[in-house]
Amino acid sequence: MREMDLHLSLSARGYSDIVQPMITVRNLEKHYGGKSVLRDLSFSVQEGEIFGIVGRSGAGKSTLLRCFNGLTTYDGGSVQVRGREVGALSDAGLRELRRDMGMVFQDFSLMSRKNVFENVAFPLRIWDAGQSRGTIEARVMELLEIVDLADKRLERVQNLSGGQKQRIGIARALALNPKILLCDEATSALDPDTTLNILELLQDVNVRFKLTLIVVTHQREVVKRLCHRMLLLDKGAGLCLGRTEDLFLDPPEDLRRFADTEYTFIPGGLNIRVMFPRAISRQAVITDMARSLDLSFSIVGGKLERYRDHVLGFLIINVACEHVERVCSYMTDKNLPWEVLADDHDACQRPE
Amino acid sequence: MTTMLVSALNETLFMVFFSTLFSAAGGFGLAVLLILTGPHGLRPKSRVYAALDLAVNLLRSFPFMILMIALIPFTRLVAGVAYGSAAAIVPLTVAAIPFMARLVEGSLLEVDQGVVEAARSFGASDSQIIFRVMVMEALPAIILNVAVLAITLLGYSAMAGAIGGGGLGALAYNEGYIRFRADIMFCAVAVLIVVVQCIQSGGNHLYKKLR
Ligand SMILES: Nc1ncnc2c1ncn2[C@@H]1O[C@H](COP(=O)(O)OP(=O)(O)OP(=O)(O)O)[C@@H](O)[C@H]1O
Ligand SMILES: [Mg+2]
Repeated sequence: MREMDLHLSLSARGYSDIVQPMITVRNLEKHYGGKSVLRDLSFSVQEGEIFGIVGRSGAGKSTLLRCFNGLTTYDGGSVQVRGREVGALSDAGLRELRRDMGMVFQDFSLMSRKNVFENVAFPLRIWDAGQSRGTIEARVMELLEIVDLADKRLERVQNLSGGQKQRIGIARALALNPKILLCDEATSALDPDTTLNILELLQDVNVRFKLTLIVVTHQREVVKRLCHRMLLLDKGAGLCLGRTEDLFLDPPEDLRRFADTEYTFIPGGLNIRVMFPRAISRQAVITDMARSLDLSFSIVGGKLERYRDHVLGFLIINVACEHVERVCSYMTDKNLPWEVLADDHDACQRPE
Repeated sequence: MTTMLVSALNETLFMVFFSTLFSAAGGFGLAVLLILTGPHGLRPKSRVYAALDLAVNLLRSFPFMILMIALIPFTRLVAGVAYGSAAAIVPLTVAAIPFMARLVEGSLLEVDQGVVEAARSFGASDSQIIFRVMVMEALPAIILNVAVLAITLLGYSAMAGAIGGGGLGALAYNEGYIRFRADIMFCAVAVLIVVVQCIQSGGNHLYKKLR
């Protein structure tokens, strides 16, 4: 597992250098029957951080997330939330712990027979310690303002769109003023625009309430946009851990495989990703390369990607095998970071 | 004939109403236990569940006539008498509790597990989850279960004539069938049909309103 320097990364973002871990995981093990679902995981999540857990379907992301609030038990190692060992808590202790940890679900998991207001009020009613009706009402309205749904308070949840339902899910998760928000694929059921919308909301509550967020997702856009740090899981094992930006700009082999699957392979050449740091204009580079090498290549894909607070670009070009060597040495000369896409290594003899 | 019909209807409604009331309550309680201890329940206890499961299946496999006769000593103990409409309520309730338990268990199992998990995730206790989440979510379905229960008990209550329970079923059989009074038989059956319709549409109406 790769652990980047944590304090460095956090202080670079303006957090204080000494932070108490919100969650500490050590040598965590979990199995179902004979099958190992989480293997020897160790990491910690800092206060105020947005921590991503990514991986393919079945990697164990949801299981790991549920170990944090005791919805799942674990078989070995330790999970400590704010210093308390989750596995050692009594029923009452677990309920207290969960009170401090909100959770947001992929399919929203709202109560279908209750209206918006009642869904958000429900955690408050569960924990109601003689609060007056007015207190609950004021709190619910405050929450609905945060998620911008105050005008829908009497609507039945079935009548709302996916994005609106997720906003209610978030409002409900925030109702008890938690310290930690756990999100299990909170945007996976939503279209891209709505996803952005929800991500903005999550970012907003992270800053406003100094909330620690743990975000499980298989969408790389979500990790990139949202997460300070990320952990890549594969078959229950932690493959890499570090600052999102570092990991995506210089991806270890494992992450490359996770990140590159969305580009289609074009036969008869090599797909090469050319990265463009801030300083370089991508238009000039590509035309310049085509002109000075006197060859043509096709552009397979490209993107301006946002890494939290700045934008970087890349293009994926498909180069015929016989030109690969010249193209690569040109890029190296020009100090352009480049890489051959992971799935394509066998397409040509790869130049060293 | 009208007076016969009216008093038979009264007996039927009396038997059905009270046996539905008691067996709905008992069946609901049993269903909660099944849900709680079941394999995916909040407190899985495989031994307890297996025992309850077996008991429910055993009771449900008895033909009602046999059960009613086998229960006569118990009926006398509970109701004081072994014959009559009031006495018939005892075997009707005993027979219907496991039936209702299965219906309600099914309705509670239909509740979205995600909603249950969400309630757990913000610290709801087991009893809050069962009564304030699962039962509330399943309420419309449980209402329909009660309608099915009442209609089933209406059918069973016809057999209660065998221990002097009276009612429309007994009237149709004793007067109509044995004494060849086709008109009485026809009217008794017609009234039964109307009662079934009323129960079902009442249930459907409530279901739509609550959903
Ligand atoms: N209750 C269970 N009983 C047995 N096996 C389980 C159970 N829950 C999960 N698993 C298994 O554990 C593994 C990890 O599951 P998990 O749901 O954590 O994966 P995930 O990374 O969240 O996947 P997805 O992206 O599809 O949600 C899977 O192989 C799954 O089949
Ligand atoms: Mg999952």
